Amino acid sequence: MTDEQGTSGAILVVGGGISGLTAALEAAEVGNDVFLVEKNAYFGGRVAQLNQYFPKLCPPSCGLEINFKRVKDNRRIRTYTMTSVTAVSGGPGNYAVTLETAPRYVNSNCTACGDCADACPDEIDNEFNFGMNKSKAAYLPHEMAFPRRYVINKDGLSEDGAAAVKAACKYNAVDLDMAADTKTINVASIIWATGWTPYDPTKMDNLKFNESDAIVTNMMIERMAAPGGPTDGAIIRPGDNKEPESFAFVQCAGSRDENHLEYCSYICCMATFKQMTYIRERYPEAKIYVFYIDLRTPGKYEKFREKLMQDEHSTFIKGKVAEIIPESDGSVTVVAENAVTGEKIKQKVDMAVLATGMQTTIGANGAPVTLDTDPSGFVNSNPETGVLSAGCACRAADVVTSNQSATAAALKAIQVSRRS
Amino acid sequence: MDVQPDLDFIRYLKTAGGDTMKKCYQCATCSVVCPLSSEDNPFPRQEMIWSGWGMKDKLVADPNVFLCHQCGDCTAYCPRGAKPGDVLGAIRAYAYTALGWPTGLAKLASSAKGLPMLIAIPTVIIFVLWAISGGMLIPGAEDFKVYGYQRFFGHWDFHWLAKNVAFIDAFMLAAFGLAIVASYKGVTTMWAKMCEREGVNTDFKPSMVQMARDFVWPAVVEIVQHSRFRECGTNRNRETGHKPLMYAFGGLFIVTAWSAIANDVLGLWIPSLHGPMSVWNPVKILANVSAVAMIVGIGILWVNRSKSEAEDNITPTFYDWFLIWEIMAVAVTGLLAEIFRWAGLAAPGYIIYFIHLVTVMMLFMYMPYTKFAHLIYRTTAMTFERFRESSFVKNPLDK
Repeated sequence: MTDEQGTSGAILVVGGGISGLTAALEAAEVGNDVFLVEKNAYFGGRVAQLNQYFPKLCPPSCGLEINFKRVKDNRRIRTYTMTSVTAVSGGPGNYAVTLETAPRYVNSNCTACGDCADACPDEIDNEFNFGMNKSKAAYLPHEMAFPRRYVINKDGLSEDGAAAVKAACKYNAVDLDMAADTKTINVASIIWATGWTPYDPTKMDNLKFNESDAIVTNMMIERMAAPGGPTDGAIIRPGDNKEPESFAFVQCAGSRDENHLEYCSYICCMATFKQMTYIRERYPEAKIYVFYIDLRTPGKYEKFREKLMQDEHSTFIKGKVAEIIPESDGSVTVVAENAVTGEKIKQKVDMAVLATGMQTTIGANGAPVTLDTDPSGFVNSNPETGVLSAGCACRAADVVTSNQSATAAALKAIQVSRRS
Repeated sequence: MDVQPDLDFIRYLKTAGGDTMKKCYQCATCSVVCPLSSEDNPFPRQEMIWSGWGMKDKLVADPNVFLCHQCGDCTAYCPRGAKPGDVLGAIRAYAYTALGWPTGLAKLASSAKGLPMLIAIPTVIIFVLWAISGGMLIPGAEDFKVYGYQRFFGHWDFHWLAKNVAFIDAFMLAAFGLAIVASYKGVTTMWAKMCEREGVNTDFKPSMVQMARDFVWPAVVEIVQHSRFRECGTNRNRETGHKPLMYAFGGLFIVTAWSAIANDVLGLWIPSLHGPMSVWNPVKILANVSAVAMIVGIGILWVNRSKSEAEDNITPTFYDWFLIWEIMAVAVTGLLAEIFRWAGLAAPGYIIYFIHLVTVMMLFMYMPYTKFAHLIYRTTAMTFERFRESSFVKNPLDK
């Protein structure tokens, strides 16, 4: 094959979650140069936070590990963590993109031995676990973080802490004077794979998220259920650590609602069925109430739904929860109207799980540069301009669909590279 | 279930502010956030699907439709922008027309197309009577000062019935009488339909006294106290406007009753009771306070509605605005007529007074068909709400 692309035929993939990894690998493995940038300190995105993903209920390491290995083995992919896009200029085939890398305060000498974390006296909220526990200010983002390198949260570090962390490192890897780094790269096309953010549950004032510990989100359940999570796999009520005897799943919490996310987030119904299996593993007798508008389990997921709906301790109620009342004993009462019987239902449960939807990261945080998005913040893919989108930056989707759209975006990006 | 959608009914709802109803996807958020919806009779989700399906018979006899105070919480939380609050308003507008008698007049009052006719009818009647009475003369300053508008329709020397009173009674009592008959027919029809829908055994009927004491009176007390308005979240300000307005109507009712007695009964023996009252007369004070309260109340409702419409929280309808304009016109012309009397300006005063008579007659005559009808139908629904929970309907032994 002749090198038609020259030096400017590279592809930039923004976002290193499952979609970004797939797009980068698909493009690199057919010979394109790829820049893969990720805002977090680790690759893997939302999938890395899951306990299992449906429908086979595999742990996320199942899909991520092989991809990390492929990235490591591929010299055409240049990876940047803690890096954001700050400016884009030029046109299709010849974009100049400015990248800014935030200081990690740990250099490449790090062997992930963990001595700095052991020595560090300061603690910060563990964002990876949605603040349900603390981590040290010098930390490995999560158990299977790739790249396997520690990070220091300098704002969370006291003066003594700084000294202790520095002294603890045998490899001279701690560099607290590290500064932000800016560089410009030239690429032919850009794939936005910036993914999604759980919709902020405090925006639904009637669901009282902040007013009771018994109200959690579906992503918090994922972290609790995960073996390396804040509770080491136990699904217990934050605050009093009670083992819940009853659960209510509040579907469409923020989705299909023009006051919040006007689209269906696609995954929350399946996420709820999946989390019912987590609950059954731990509490075979617990009561589960699922409040829904419609149960949307497309295609092969229907079988999964049918199986879970056989559960004898579970009740499915057609009617959206529009009010949650925190009770004095730590439980909550969810209120809905059963649209089949026409009765108002007030169900007291030990834990209410808000099946919050997917907001595009761009919709939640704003676009870093001018982008062609729809009103919800999904990026429109345009092969003409070479600005493409993949995964949940493109539409609300499950992992399978995200990977399909990532492959599609990679193909279009390659075409733009070869054209120029 | 065999559903025969009434397409005309659906079309009517769409023109009367219910154009959003088909957006509803039955999630039932509305029934939960509605502060007035009860455990046993949640609304307005069911009403939304019935209106989408054109099931008007279910809706006209549905007390929930009339229990709704259009707080707007359902509309604010509705995930689809289906505006249940507006849809229920449209159903009420339809019900007032459907229950209205005579049908022609009820239909006329149901849309903006009828507005010219609605104004023309009382205008012509009063104008013709004014012409017949021969009183169509602007009085001199002296006479205007002494008699005010009391000789609007002229004067005769028959002691037992003043000419003015005779003429005013001729059309006002007629209009009022029509409204009373129409209200009676409408309310009894509605009650019968609600009983039928609820499956009430008509063999057990409360006496008039029981009905008044156990069901009507508590409903009226609740209405006067505005306790349901206070439950409202989104349109909380409606109580601020509705309360002074309702009290103003109460005050003016007392004033009118007193005037009738003082002029037409006591005045036969005590001639000094005739003529305009002193500004310091307690009845006159009540009248003026009520007039101001009326303007303030309706003004607040006017501003609230305009604001909600500007924010697209509520759909503008003729049904809602007719009553606001109407009440504002009554209050403003009434107050202006008084001001012109104080100022001694007979000519503009007489013209304004004429318009005032027209607006008051419109208020009475069209009450059973316009939004003003909530006065009778909501009271009926709130009475029925109590009735259906009583042992006349529910056997307490069945529990």
